[in-house]
Amino acid sequence: MADTPEAIKKSVRTYLFVGAILFIGTITTVLVATVPALDVGAHGFDKWDCILGLTIATIKASLVAFIFMHLNHEKKAVYWLFASGLCMVCSLAGLTALALGDPIFDRFFYSGH
Amino acid sequence: MEIPYVVTPRKDTGLFNSKIAIWLFLASEVMLFGGFFSAYVFLRLGADYPWPERTLPVLPGLINTFVLIGSSVTVVFAWASLKLREWRKFQFFMGITVFCALIFMVLKGLEYNVKLHHQALRLKDYSVIEGHLGYETEDDKPVLDHKGNKIEENLINIEASKLSFNSVRFHKPWVEEFLTQAEHKHSKITLSADVSAITHQGQAPEVIAKAGEPLSIELLNRIQKTHLAARSHNGVIRTAALRDEWKKAKAANPDKRDWQFSDGVNIDMAVVTPQLLGEISTVGFTVEPPAHFDFHPRDIKPAATQSRLRDDTVVDGKLLDSPMVFHHIDAIDFQHLAMKAVEKGIDPEVAIENSWLIKSSPFAKQAWEWHQGEVAKLKAQLLKDYGADKDGKAIRFPTHKELYRIGWKDFAKKSEDEGRAKLAPADAFKEEFFGPNYEARGDETFPGLSVPREQIGFESKFTPAWNPYYAIYFTITGLHGLHVIGGALVLAYYLFFGRKMYLSNPEWLANRVEIGGLFWHFVDLVWIFVFPILYLM
Repeated sequence: MADTPEAIKKSVRTYLFVGAILFIGTITTVLVATVPALDVGAHGFDKWDCILGLTIATIKASLVAFIFMHLNHEKKAVYWLFASGLCMVCSLAGLTALALGDPIFDRFFYSGH
Repeated sequence: MEIPYVVTPRKDTGLFNSKIAIWLFLASEVMLFGGFFSAYVFLRLGADYPWPERTLPVLPGLINTFVLIGSSVTVVFAWASLKLREWRKFQFFMGITVFCALIFMVLKGLEYNVKLHHQALRLKDYSVIEGHLGYETEDDKPVLDHKGNKIEENLINIEASKLSFNSVRFHKPWVEEFLTQAEHKHSKITLSADVSAITHQGQAPEVIAKAGEPLSIELLNRIQKTHLAARSHNGVIRTAALRDEWKKAKAANPDKRDWQFSDGVNIDMAVVTPQLLGEISTVGFTVEPPAHFDFHPRDIKPAATQSRLRDDTVVDGKLLDSPMVFHHIDAIDFQHLAMKAVEKGIDPEVAIENSWLIKSSPFAKQAWEWHQGEVAKLKAQLLKDYGADKDGKAIRFPTHKELYRIGWKDFAKKSEDEGRAKLAPADAFKEEFFGPNYEARGDETFPGLSVPREQIGFESKFTPAWNPYYAIYFTITGLHGLHVIGGALVLAYYLFFGRKMYLSNPEWLANRVEIGGLFWHFVDLVWIFVFPILYLM
């Protein structure tokens, strides 16, 4: 845990380094989305662009969470709390996707087509 | 009472109190934003219209991303400075953090402002036109409404000879607008006939207002007061009479259920009527001479001879030409029309050639022909760069948006191809924030267009009303913006009022700043996902 003055001073360099990585990650995200030569998959936006963009975003978010939010050296209680939130969100999205994928689902049920 | 565990960790969790609390809160925030992000995914996957992919200007979002990442770095430096007991450095870094929050909100405000003033129109054939409307003018001067605001050239025009107000539901600002417009047109609005009603039970009708009295809020309020008093009085009498009838009917039908004899339960109007007061539900006025009134399309249901406002005011008169006039159009989008054509088995290109816009606007026709040339060039370039498969079909082809949408940058490029000078770099940079610079690029690049009312399918500004994409965009970015404001207020509190606590218990302040910083990092984390999802995909 970065509590002692020496440990904190050492962490400052890490924060600067991670900050630089985040800036570079942002520029990379914009470049792969806007420069045609860097377009993965089919021309224009497709699932590969989505996967690439979200992968870069997840790496950046993980850096913020683990380094800036100190999740890399936290106590178990915090891991349990954060993980439970993540699981709930995945359940929310996952169960909705299951419902939409159910053959009984009718998107025109309420609009009466 | 001293609150324990604000500095010393608890023995069971190894953490101080507020850390557990903030992570609990962040878990709930993950649920909140996770819910909205999954809503975005389902809205997009289930969209039955062309999803507006990559239509937002990237630069403001990119700068905001840099600003938030920078502020995340400085907030952690601020915490580190406190832990190292360096007060001035803490103030410096926290000051930058709060300043970054301010920059973020200013840029977001600019983005929102541009969208809220940008007009979108979907025609009945599903062509979409985007741009800015003109303002009503008379003798080159802008016409103002009763509040003194300019009026956009998107009005329903009626030559009204009679007005009939609902005495309860009339909307005061609209009455004032009638009076303003009538005065402007040198017309008078006066009561068509005497308004009289029985105001006391058993007495003769009383004249509330005489024919010829000019329209005013005071007059309508007077009539409303009488009507509401009568309605309330009559309600009591009718209810009592109905109760009596039910009692009698129940006594006469002891073995039957209510619904079996309910048809026969009616108030005896001959008995009740003499007790009732006069209700005045509508009030009629004459417009002399008949005047040209303008109404906002969302306020009125127009018809050839009798139109109805949303407050139940009836406007008798002739419906005149009511076009929607764009001062500048900056995008033409046939994606939805193409989608509908494919659904019906029609070639999209044929459907576009037969659309009202191409047939009626020489500019649109010329722009579409130029655009088809550009698409042909793009197809050739993609074939050259990526080759063809074994059947001779190009491996990569233009997207639906590239095929059918002509955006403002395309119009600008067309204009430059035709010999117009490019914009200065500073002006071009400003366009990334404020949209196309109509004055600098000229009316030939972004001309006006008058759209007849009967062609209009749906119109709105770029607001949540326009389509679910803008609805979810404003919801997510708006909620995120509120979190930025909340977080910045907390951090600003520590910055401006933390000195006292720093002098008495610096470790406690450091812990509080750490907690505030955790929230700030979460706000940054959400934006790290918002930016690519909403702006780049």
